[in-house]
Amino acid sequence: MLTHLFDRLGTRVLKAFSEAGDFAVLSGRTFIAVFKRPFDSANLMRQFLAVGVNSIPVITLTSLAISMVFAVQLSYGFRQFQAEGLASQVQGLAIVRELAPVITGLMMAGRVGSAMAAELGTMQVTEQIDALECLATDPIHYLFVPRLLAAMVMLPLLTGFSVYVGFWGGYALLVGVTGQSASVYSSEFYKLLAFRDVRIALTKALVFGVIIALVGCWRGYRTRGGAEGVGNAPTSSVVTSSLWILISDFFLTKLLLV
Amino acid sequence: MEPVIEAVHLSKAFGPKVVLSDVNFSVQEGESLAVMGGSGSGKTVLLRTIMGLLTPDSGHVAVEGNVIQALDRQTLFEVRKKIGMCFQMAALFDSMSVEENIGFALTRHTDMSKAEIAERVDECLTLVGLRNCQKLRPAELSGGMKRRVGFARAIALKPQILLFDEPTTGLDPVMTDVIGRVILDLKHQLGVTTITITHDLKSAFEIADRIALLFRGEIIACQPPAEFKANPNPVIQQFLRGDAEGPFLTDPPPPKRSTNSVSHQALVP
Repeated sequence: MLTHLFDRLGTRVLKAFSEAGDFAVLSGRTFIAVFKRPFDSANLMRQFLAVGVNSIPVITLTSLAISMVFAVQLSYGFRQFQAEGLASQVQGLAIVRELAPVITGLMMAGRVGSAMAAELGTMQVTEQIDALECLATDPIHYLFVPRLLAAMVMLPLLTGFSVYVGFWGGYALLVGVTGQSASVYSSEFYKLLAFRDVRIALTKALVFGVIIALVGCWRGYRTRGGAEGVGNAPTSSVVTSSLWILISDFFLTKLLLV
Repeated sequence: MEPVIEAVHLSKAFGPKVVLSDVNFSVQEGESLAVMGGSGSGKTVLLRTIMGLLTPDSGHVAVEGNVIQALDRQTLFEVRKKIGMCFQMAALFDSMSVEENIGFALTRHTDMSKAEIAERVDECLTLVGLRNCQKLRPAELSGGMKRRVGFARAIALKPQILLFDEPTTGLDPVMTDVIGRVILDLKHQLGVTTITITHDLKSAFEIADRIALLFRGEIIACQPPAEFKANPNPVIQQFLRGDAEGPFLTDPPPPKRSTNSVSHQALVP
């Protein structure tokens, strides 16, 4: 009974290490392949469109919703001890430091990471990735690199966009509904913020972009077993990358705020 | 003369299942070899090992003297440019049009202009008997058309070796004949060395200079079609007859019933 338990535990630990090793090797190969020729600009542009431009509606909606709900909570909370004026300052701080990068990261893990896993997974089970190999094309260079670059560029841009939308979400609620002065809100929003906060937000977004692209591509590339495998790839990609976004968010915050 | 493709003591197992146990053969320049064998006998594994998509457990494959498994990736890609691989289900890139599929390797590996690529794509499509379908998507093509676009993609870089993985499986007899003719045309017009994996006896006898039979992980015969037909080996004779009775199957087949003895009326309650 006990040996059986250890046996199963050992198998799981070994599997986890082998997966981590595989992910590390593929990630390393991707970063090396970034500098290889030929540079496929058309492919990169397609990824910029898929990762960045096409994600604007979903980022707008989620950022607006989260910022408005957060403003409601803040104005209610601060009203308890007659400090409504602080709501806009905390709104700015929360959106720039945490909400914009994390919400963008999680939404993109769901929208873009899963799409990458599904696309590469389908290509894997229909032998299209083998066909790439046979046409003397490195799948890592052709498939991983443009997705990684697109995510690394677009996640920070979308995070910036999310901050902008968050500002107006808070504005609509705090100025439009609770009756705060527009000029006070606009100046207070940035009051507690320093350039460092913007840098932290963009660094987080960059790291989240790397996680989303690499995990999505890796899960897709390692898809086995037909329709079921293709079905599992996006799910496990979203779960894995969301988890790593949250874990890395904690450590990045701890490290960068020091 | 040095063979173009040579397999030496090749073996490959997936877990406990041994697929290839000791495969030896060689193919000379300009020769076409048809490899036949039962379903699951490791024919596709053999082809994938030649391409370097699978690594053998022991033994090796050499293409023009280069041992595939010993090459670094860059050299492997250089060798692969000389080989055209046609997949069983064509494996066309479904996000691209027919033209982009065929021109893929040309765009990446040559300095050809767009007009030159378009011309070469047209040339390749003509060779496989498909014209004016450059703009179609793979989803809009029938099974036979997909295979032929796959052939066109494989020959775009003018390879010296062509590998066909079950090019006629799942097609009707007429389309099977069309594909057989296309393969013969490619062989005569391009003078390439080919290995064709097939189940189809008729097309194998038409296209091959030599026929090999893969049985329980080994090649038990590799002979010109006439000699292959006359080979007294009971496994080969059973395969040629297409009969379930004999040494070919490991598990005994279900008993054969006479169709006359089953009356539909008797089954209706």
